[in-house]
Amino acid sequence: MTSDTPARRRLRVFSRRRKAPSRARRRLGAAVRMLAALALAGGVYTAFAPGAFAEDDRQLSATAQEGKQLFDNSCITCHGKDAQGVDDRGPSLIGVGAASVEFQVGTGRMPMVRQEAQAEQKKPQFDKTQTKQLAQYIQELGGGPQIPEGELTESLESNPEALARGGELFRVNCTSCHGFGGGGGALSSGKYAPSLHDATPEQIYAAMLTGPQNMPVFGDNQLTPEQKREIITYITMQLQEDKDPGGLFNLGRYGPSTEGMAVFLVGITLLVFTALWIAGKS
Amino acid sequence: MTSVQHDSEADRQASTVDVFDPKVSRFDIVKEGLRRDEIEIITYESQFQGTNSKAEKRVVRNIAFLFIISGLAALAFLGFYIWWPWRFELGHTMGDYYTPALGLTLGISLFALGFAILAWAKKLLPHEVSIQKRHDGASPTDEQLITGQTAMFVADELAGGVQRRPLLKGAIGLAAAPLGIAAAAPLIGGLIENPHKGDPPPLFSTGFNPVHNNGNPVRLAREDGTPIRPEDISTGGQATVFPGIPGGATNEFADSPTLLIHLRPDDAEETRRNAEADRRNRGSMYGDYVAYSKICTHAGCPASLYEQQTNRLLCPCHQSQFLITRNAQPVFGPASRRLPMLPLGVDDEGYFVAKSDFKDTVGPDFWERP
Amino acid sequence: MKRRKVDLAQAPATIARGTDERFQAATPLRALLNKVFPDHWSFLLGEIALFSFIILLLTGVFLTLFFDPSMKEVAYEGAYPALRGTEMSAAYESSLHLSFEVRGGLFMRQMHHWAALLFMASIVVHMARIFFTGAYRKPREVNWVIGIILFLLGFFAGFTGYSLPDDGLSGTGLRIASAIMLSIPVVGTWLSAAVFGGEFPGHLIIGRFYIAHVLLIPGGLLALISIHLALVFKQKHTQWPGPMRTNTNVVGERMFPRYALKQGGFFMACFGTVALLAGLFQINPIWLFGPYRASEVSSASQPDWYVMFMDGLVRLMPNWQIYIGDYSIPPLFWPAVVGLGTLFTLPMLWPWLEARKSGDKRIHNLLERPRDNPERVGIGAMALTFFLVATISGANDVIADKFHISLNAMTWAGRLGLIIGPPLMYWLAVRVCLGLQQHDREVLAHGVETGIIRRLPNGQFVEVHQPLGPVDDHGHPEPLPYGGWVVPKKMNRVGALAPAIKGFFYPVEKPAEAPVSPGMPPVSGDEREEITSGR
Repeated sequence: MTSDTPARRRLRVFSRRRKAPSRARRRLGAAVRMLAALALAGGVYTAFAPGAFAEDDRQLSATAQEGKQLFDNSCITCHGKDAQGVDDRGPSLIGVGAASVEFQVGTGRMPMVRQEAQAEQKKPQFDKTQTKQLAQYIQELGGGPQIPEGELTESLESNPEALARGGELFRVNCTSCHGFGGGGGALSSGKYAPSLHDATPEQIYAAMLTGPQNMPVFGDNQLTPEQKREIITYITMQLQEDKDPGGLFNLGRYGPSTEGMAVFLVGITLLVFTALWIAGKS
Repeated sequence: MTSVQHDSEADRQASTVDVFDPKVSRFDIVKEGLRRDEIEIITYESQFQGTNSKAEKRVVRNIAFLFIISGLAALAFLGFYIWWPWRFELGHTMGDYYTPALGLTLGISLFALGFAILAWAKKLLPHEVSIQKRHDGASPTDEQLITGQTAMFVADELAGGVQRRPLLKGAIGLAAAPLGIAAAAPLIGGLIENPHKGDPPPLFSTGFNPVHNNGNPVRLAREDGTPIRPEDISTGGQATVFPGIPGGATNEFADSPTLLIHLRPDDAEETRRNAEADRRNRGSMYGDYVAYSKICTHAGCPASLYEQQTNRLLCPCHQSQFLITRNAQPVFGPASRRLPMLPLGVDDEGYFVAKSDFKDTVGPDFWERP
Repeated sequence: MKRRKVDLAQAPATIARGTDERFQAATPLRALLNKVFPDHWSFLLGEIALFSFIILLLTGVFLTLFFDPSMKEVAYEGAYPALRGTEMSAAYESSLHLSFEVRGGLFMRQMHHWAALLFMASIVVHMARIFFTGAYRKPREVNWVIGIILFLLGFFAGFTGYSLPDDGLSGTGLRIASAIMLSIPVVGTWLSAAVFGGEFPGHLIIGRFYIAHVLLIPGGLLALISIHLALVFKQKHTQWPGPMRTNTNVVGERMFPRYALKQGGFFMACFGTVALLAGLFQINPIWLFGPYRASEVSSASQPDWYVMFMDGLVRLMPNWQIYIGDYSIPPLFWPAVVGLGTLFTLPMLWPWLEARKSGDKRIHNLLERPRDNPERVGIGAMALTFFLVATISGANDVIADKFHISLNAMTWAGRLGLIIGPPLMYWLAVRVCLGLQQHDREVLAHGVETGIIRRLPNGQFVEVHQPLGPVDDHGHPEPLPYGGWVVPKKMNRVGALAPAIKGFFYPVEKPAEAPVSPGMPPVSGDEREEITSGR
């Protein structure tokens, strides 16, 4: 749903136009966005930074040095020198951790094209190595949550109940926004929970850990790493692998709305044409 | 149809065909039947020139082909039904195609059969235009009068008789009314349940009522029953919590699910300011933590879509939106009432408890809510 | 003992005679075999509903053999790994069992669900056909009312049916149903307690819905469908105006052999459609929804499409709460109880309202082309627009998400659309109808446009029109009266619509009629119904 086809872009343009009908509304929107950005900046900062500002002369590893290069080229405009943040533009990244960078940059959400209700997922601008370098840089600047090394899914041989437990946790914690089928859903005023159908285990793990955009944070104190892996197991094995025993088409798993459309577009249409043929002149 | 029978005597006499005459063809007898049913065949002719024409042979071939397809697809259906692996297994397996295979083969079989029959009716059977007379409107006036008078006669005998005999009138009334109620009573009476029965009254209390824990404050628990501490929820995080009593997370306590939110400090500050200004929510927060009932005050869905940046709670059923920082007042959508706040506290062991039950009524609204 | 000789060839006649001696079946049976039905594609829409209902009965009986309508909690140990060990109700467990451990069970379940959707869809389409052609007019008002009650019964059959598996999605629907009951002033809490046997959800509701779904509601449906069909038989089907067709006859085919055969073929096509849908399109994947828990919900929680209009109205309702002293009426009450009641009562009264307004108390067996009654089409367009906006709003979160529109904007668009849309569509429909009428009259008066441009001696260009009827001495077409039926608008349609009157049954004494133009009065036009044009 977030693939960037021309049609989608047109749609987005269209929806933006509908969203901002007047200058007053636009200004209001800008103000709200600014407030949100400020809140994020302050919140994230106070949440993770133990009060230490990064120092310039700090020793950076070789990877982080590479990352700093990339940061100074692509991110510094909004996030400021040494990721301290810029008012009205972007929050400080001190303490957000490598996990956050890997999610935001790895899914193409950052760098943002423009300020809007929610950063769009798009084709990543940086490849895997570059993302790792950026992540390393941010990590070394201020610390924060990191994606652990190793497998992020549970093996069903050693933990046969992982799938069922993951499913249960998924329904308790995730479905309210991402839907039973993992197809995503709408939030208030143009925001949305994205589809999970092409999310990688790393991205899902990072998202739970850091709570990007409006997603709540599911820290390790709330969902243990094992529980996170179980959830990812359920998403990858049950939802992503197109396990739809009930047909060739799953109608997007959107539930009754697409089913209702199908019964008219396929069922009624087919039968009306049959009726036309029956009663037609031979 | 009654009118047809009514006229049939006259019809028979008007008949020009002696149906018992062996020389009369079957078709003439059919036509005689049609005449009696007031049907006139305008057109009834073969759709083909002559017998055994090329066109006819082609149509017959097509229809036969459809019948054969139908049979073959039905055989394929049986084959799939019996031999195709159908048990559910993880990962991509042949079993995924069991239902599609059944649907396709059965669908094709039935469609082919249907179209074979339709083509037969449409192409092979003679083209026909028939006209049948309608008999609309009321019955003949004399019939109306006779039936009406008969009804009046019956009414007069029964109702009029009762009218003339007051004792009977009273007695029937005395018999019928109680009997009617008596017949209805067990049907309805068995279903009546007092919604306010019970202590505490179920509509106004939840599993967080200390009654369920021998008068002690009830702990907040996860879905698996384990209690929850403040440090278990990260800033910007939320958890669905249940009363920490036996069966607290089951549908026995369908009004109890609660959303425990750890706000960012500045949001928490605003939330606390608003809560303190409110008579009922005063003192209900614990630090930066706030807990709201998860059951939407509109239609009872879990209003659990927590947007951690905009501090809104969205209900996915009817899109009501509640502002967390402002006592969960509804700011959009059909909900008219705020989400009740659970008074939070922490017990000696450091676990969250509900200091008391919700102070507002939880769940969808109703007439006698105070 | 001598064996009696049995003549097999005589057996049918013997049995038939024996039957008739006991039941006097000969005359009514002949009338049935000979009954004439008019033929038009739109008359087959109602059949889809009938056939879907038969499929529902067949598949439904199969499902009952495996379903356990109990809310007892059990731990799942079945074939579907992602729920193993989960606590769930026996109803949900048996639905999963039916889907994964019964050979072909999932296919049957999906057939049942698709047939239900098709049943409701064809009812709506059939109802629209009845409405726009004026088929509900005297003497068929009662059948129209029965039809609406059938929709209502189907609505409840569907709701009770999809609640049965007790999964996460249907449980959410049940909770909303309980909230709707609670919202009714004065008796709400008592009603909800009576239905659920205490506080929501209780332990009884699945069992109660089960008996309603498999016995009470289907019984009602069966009875009303029988009356519906019996009335069609007794009153005979309506027909379109056209050559030979009058208010006092039926032109078409006899029930046997051709009409019944077509019906049989169409039944197979319906059955085939349901089978294809059930095989190709996954419906209601309950295994993803998990067992119902009061704390769990999914984004995009919607009811099936025929309940969606109600859900949409509930979503669009502003949060107006009415306080009366210590008591209150929640906003849910208006769309869900008052709205639903009005939306079913008003259409029921419509045939009488229209007759009262127009003062038309005559019997109508000829249909009206929609364009010939713009007022009615306008009202119908209003109703359909209202229904459509409400239904779309029932899925507004899915639309908002997939088309990147703000959710709040969708709600407001729905609110405005509900108010602005219907009158707009009324105006549009009336204009379109009048325009079409106008064009019909023009063609009848001047003939069909041929596309040939001729230059007159004075330099003027005119288009040559092909008159549909006779011309006067100057070659100008004589205006034809409008016959209430299709007027040919293109050269290649001229004559194509006129059925030739020929065949060896036609009495030779009668002179062969000239090919009838649709614009011409019918052959036996004695009691021709007057077509009132315009408004």
